[in-house]
Amino acid sequence: VKLTSSEGTEFIIDRKVAEKSVLLKNMLEDVGESDMAIPLPNVTGPILNKVIDYCTHHRDDPFVSQEDDSKKVSDDIDDWDAEFCKVDQGTLFELILSANYLDIKPLLDLTCKTVANMIKGKTPDEIRKTFNITNDFTPEEEEHVRKENEWCEER
Amino acid sequence: MASKIFMGDMPELMENILNNLNNEFYSLYSCALVSRHWCSMSIPILWRDPFSFDDRKPPSFISRYFSYLDEDEKFDLKEYGIIIDFPITVFHYARFLKVLDLFRLEDKVQKWINFQYINPQKHINILKDDIANLLFKLFIKSGTTLSKLNIRISEFIIKPEIFYSLGQNELFFSRLQDVSVEAISDEYNIDETIMLLRILAKNSIKIHTLKLNVFEDIYGPQIYHTFASIVRAQEQLKRFNLIYEAEFQAKFNGIVSALGNQRKSLQEIKIHGCAYDAEFEVLMNCEKLEVLRIFYGDEQELLKLLVAGFCKFNTLEIMTTQLNASGVLQFLEKSSSLLQRLKLHSDEDILFQVPLLETLTTFCPNITYLYISRLTLSKQLVKLIENLKKLQFFTLKWSNYDSENAVKELVIELAKILPSTLQYLYWECFNFQSNSFNDILLDYCDAPLKKLLINVDCDEKIIKALIGFCIRKGSLKYVNDISRTDYDYLEEDLEGYAKPVSRDFIEVNC
Repeated sequence: VKLTSSEGTEFIIDRKVAEKSVLLKNMLEDVGESDMAIPLPNVTGPILNKVIDYCTHHRDDPFVSQEDDSKKVSDDIDDWDAEFCKVDQGTLFELILSANYLDIKPLLDLTCKTVANMIKGKTPDEIRKTFNITNDFTPEEEEHVRKENEWCEER
Repeated sequence: MASKIFMGDMPELMENILNNLNNEFYSLYSCALVSRHWCSMSIPILWRDPFSFDDRKPPSFISRYFSYLDEDEKFDLKEYGIIIDFPITVFHYARFLKVLDLFRLEDKVQKWINFQYINPQKHINILKDDIANLLFKLFIKSGTTLSKLNIRISEFIIKPEIFYSLGQNELFFSRLQDVSVEAISDEYNIDETIMLLRILAKNSIKIHTLKLNVFEDIYGPQIYHTFASIVRAQEQLKRFNLIYEAEFQAKFNGIVSALGNQRKSLQEIKIHGCAYDAEFEVLMNCEKLEVLRIFYGDEQELLKLLVAGFCKFNTLEIMTTQLNASGVLQFLEKSSSLLQRLKLHSDEDILFQVPLLETLTTFCPNITYLYISRLTLSKQLVKLIENLKKLQFFTLKWSNYDSENAVKELVIELAKILPSTLQYLYWECFNFQSNSFNDILLDYCDAPLKKLLINVDCDEKIIKALIGFCIRKGSLKYVNDISRTDYDYLEEDLEGYAKPVSRDFIEVNC
């Protein structure tokens, strides 16, 4: 299967790897056998490269349905996956957007979980600094929200 | 610049991230204070299931709900001697509730009362029920739709106005996916319970998981008929649990046969304490049924029945007093290469072990999860494990009454052939000194184990073998010493190698 990234770089991958993406799987089923490259205007070359790495490593994993997924309770991230997610924040968010666009649920879950782990246990100020967020509350608003939810303040 | 995901452009992705913090109350609270957008995204998740909040802390969130009570209800609270303000809150928090557990509601209200300044002249039990009912009614009227409901009624009296409110707000139960009914007592409130269950049967058709737990053979037919109508009403029931407290109950009153309506959707069934009954014949036609769990019931007859049916199973879990393996063989043969997860737990030694091991070796090469208790460590077992090339999770509770040298040889043989896919091992010996061969196992094990449950019991020899294994393989992350609940002593020895943790933390279920 041929894929073209947003800058026009071409990638050739196995059909089984491509089919980890529900978007590509459906396209391939609709179009059938074809030499035409599938354009992916929302995914840059370096990110597509990472996505392909992920799909290749997990090519033989069984399909996980939405409901099976709810059984996953552990915070455990597989060693390979943890290493895969050791990227700068910009790349991590690009991976989330691409996994969402390409409809690769396990990759979306992994990257979202990685970001959630970056939030876990932090104070509001630490979260703002980590993700470069501006506090747009008025002092009164912030105080109201704080007061109404202070029951969960203790760690 | 912050990612657009966190700026409000893609709320569904931010929700996906925050959903991973479900029940991490402190983290969600922090998120709520980051910015306005973060607040609007995290508050609904924070208030989805506040009743699961840490039991050791005061449930002061309950006061926040009171602002949206009617004026006469606020007046009643004051009459009860509750001295609190009712300020208008930023959010109508009741609208975010998705999980309602009636036992937790009752329990948290009791804890809330204990933390308040209340008039000591009043009867606390009456007050507790009154407040729990006020909240229940508030949730129904708030316009929220529940996704999970646990009915666990003890002394909690549901008042008539609740049923009236449920009649007025049919959507409240309409999107329920997970329902559990537990511990119904015949002494308390059975009529109210039946009434509640009837409303459930009428208004809920999207339940995926239904658990009917721990009820006894002491009720009139009404309650069984109501259970059966809940089962029948569902469009796509996928998981069904029927758990009797006592063993070998056979009075199903149409509950099991009601599953006939679910033959195109039912994927998993768990039955506990159930004797065989003709009602189970409906399961033969459940074409999607792939997970079967039988606990302390009549597994022989049920398996015989299902072998003749259309189901194709990938998971079988049996817990019983003494397993007669001859009754499982045909089932294993039929499941064949589809079988991936198998748990056979027998309190006493399994009968007919050799044919069991031979059948598994011949027919079931794709097992990834294997739990066997109690079994004799034998050549046939070694051969089976050697054949399971995809095995990832392995629990073995074994004995062997041969000479110590012969057993040692077998342990070495088994340790050497543990597959390279194996990441989890729970190893328990029932005879000898129960940790006699554990150092040998570790010395010869070449599988890249990440999680290990083993009897260490402060034995220096085993601790040394554990460290040796960690250095050699570099894969082990967590260890549990199954002989003790205080595992802290291992921390110093294993520091930098693996983390000692509780059994609950690492034990993997079938």
